Amino acid sequence: MFDFLKKGKKKKVVILGIDGTPCSLLRDLIQAGDMPNLSSLTSTGTLSPMFASIPEVSSTSWTTFMTGVNPGKHSIYGFMDLKPGTYELFFPNSHNITSPTLWDILTEHENKCIVLNVPSTYPARPLNGILTAGFVAIDLKKATYPESAYEYLNSINYKMDVDAQKAKQSLETFCEDVLVTFSKRTEAILHFLKNEEWDLFVGTITETDRLHHFMWDAYENKEHKFHNFFIDFYRKVDSLIGEIASVCNDIPFMIISDHGFTSIKQEVYINYWLCDKGYLNFTKAPPDSLEQIDSNTKAFALDPARIYINLKGKFPRGIVESGSEYEKLRMKIKEELLALEINGSKVIRNIYTKEEIYKGTYTDRAPDLVVVGNHGYDLKGTLNKSSLFGRSIFTGAHTQDNATFFINRTINDSKIHIMDVSPTVLKLMGIKYEFFDGKPLI
Amino acid sequence: MNDHEQKYLEGLNIDEKIDFSKKIINDAISRFGQEKIALAITGGKDSTMLLWLFKNVCSELSIKIPKCMFIDEGDVFTEILEFVETLKKQWNLDIVIAKNTDVAGKVKKIGDIIKVKDLNESNRQELRNLNFNEDEFTFEPESYIGNHLMKTVPMKTFIQEYKIAALATAIRWDEQEARKNEEYFSPRTNPDHYRIHPILHFKERDIWTAIHKYKIPYCILYSQGYRSLGAKSTTYKNSDIPAWQQDLEHTTERSGRGQDKELVMEKLRDLGYM
Repeated sequence: MFDFLKKGKKKKVVILGIDGTPCSLLRDLIQAGDMPNLSSLTSTGTLSPMFASIPEVSSTSWTTFMTGVNPGKHSIYGFMDLKPGTYELFFPNSHNITSPTLWDILTEHENKCIVLNVPSTYPARPLNGILTAGFVAIDLKKATYPESAYEYLNSINYKMDVDAQKAKQSLETFCEDVLVTFSKRTEAILHFLKNEEWDLFVGTITETDRLHHFMWDAYENKEHKFHNFFIDFYRKVDSLIGEIASVCNDIPFMIISDHGFTSIKQEVYINYWLCDKGYLNFTKAPPDSLEQIDSNTKAFALDPARIYINLKGKFPRGIVESGSEYEKLRMKIKEELLALEINGSKVIRNIYTKEEIYKGTYTDRAPDLVVVGNHGYDLKGTLNKSSLFGRSIFTGAHTQDNATFFINRTINDSKIHIMDVSPTVLKLMGIKYEFFDGKPLI
Repeated sequence: MNDHEQKYLEGLNIDEKIDFSKKIINDAISRFGQEKIALAITGGKDSTMLLWLFKNVCSELSIKIPKCMFIDEGDVFTEILEFVETLKKQWNLDIVIAKNTDVAGKVKKIGDIIKVKDLNESNRQELRNLNFNEDEFTFEPESYIGNHLMKTVPMKTFIQEYKIAALATAIRWDEQEARKNEEYFSPRTNPDHYRIHPILHFKERDIWTAIHKYKIPYCILYSQGYRSLGAKSTTYKNSDIPAWQQDLEHTTERSGRGQDKELVMEKLRDLGYM
């Protein structure tokens, strides 16, 4: 109760985010001798798989990390969402988060925070400290607080993100961009870590995720032209981990990711499935957007696999009555979709109703069903696909049950969720806050 | 080119920008010769701006407008085809339609399955170059495979067949982050040629200013709210307001608003999230 009133030295925590890195990959690389710094840290600390949010996309998962609560409270269900009462998409940004973040809470307690490249923090909101936003960020000036931090980042030609379009030009070009972006990221992280005052330091690498999306096959296939590039990149990540660890000494140091990765077997186009089953119809073929849903539509999906029932009174051309008609339809869609197979393999791992996984004031905004695929089945809410399955440039797909949690402490918890990270941080810093859904791990 | 120079050029008024572009085009014609230059046209507002600039310079030099390359990737708006045909007549253009007819001949619609063994050896070699080793693929012009076969391959074929030394394209620095470091003359390989980028310093608003001031034609889709034009099945209307009346400058930050929303959606598509 009175811990934070003490005039003594503030407790510190450091977090390194490594977007999209599965725990199993790190374990393999440690085993292979490619990550000696992390290997050394795990000999006295704990490396464990962690559950990501549902759906397992970065905006939802990182927001769940930074708030310690489920989407029913923080409101971020995906990268794009529906304007209430319409079929129009909007980009929920940092101003749409409806729960305080870790650095909001710490700012209230006069702790200084440095937050670098965490997805879902754009545009930068004021805090006691420094913040530069991560994906999706468009304008570095708007992404950064305060002005002086922007001036520094601009002066080093900081890159907000890898240019993913380069992967369509050539993998060589893409790899160069990954390295340039990572070198600027590292430069900024180490600069602020070593030169600024902080109590909480969060630095995030998103180049890992980009690498995994386009080149997961390079990791799995040792004969791949870029296999060595992939491994070398993780050696560079390990060097960064080593540098951060040398600054930390005994300061609590966590490494977390927001979801895992695996190889893609098939992309699965949920809206195609809904059309094929007669649940989704458009006034125009092919449709330009969801706004061209016609009045025969019973359900539609947003990326990655968030299914909405076209409810009367909720959507402009909703036709499904609430109550038993809604519930029967929802269960019918769930049963039919769960049965989906390709080449004898089940595509879907689970389908959750909103009531099963979301709690809080904003659960009414949640998708009615959320689908999680079996590993390798990359579910997509794309419009305008002409088949149920397909492949594209991507070779890696997200996983929900294989994110990474590391801490340079011993813990015994076997079921870690990303919403547990913030409660753990505050407990380590001696600050009480009772509104989390997650639990402290120590 | 450094940031200071870029900012200076971006700050010129529209007629100064046009004059600077014409200087680039004059330099290109002096350097490569009219016969060895080609213009990449798409029917979009930027490439029409490029075409108009070349038309003016060539008129002043009393020479023909260079050959134009239009890539038909198999997923083109009818309105674009009609607009390009109109331009061809109005401006007496020599347009070559670059199309991978071998692939296009195997499909009826987007999403059809193509068997690799049915393609000619040239296309099969292109797939091997991409490390694509499967027996079939789905025809999606904007996919990695589709983009390569339907855009990159016909462009290469065109450059080789017509022995083009320099291809002019209508990219702009402000289009996206990746363009920020482009130069007016940029060497490319496979096959070896130069890219000419005469309108790098234009901003989106400049294009519309020039179109209205000089009564340059534009595709009707812009009147319907499309801000930029791509493949038919993957280009989305951003609004029902004509493109030039939309908020192009995003001077205030609001969630989901015009420019930011389009940029956000573009970044999400790049990673497969839309």
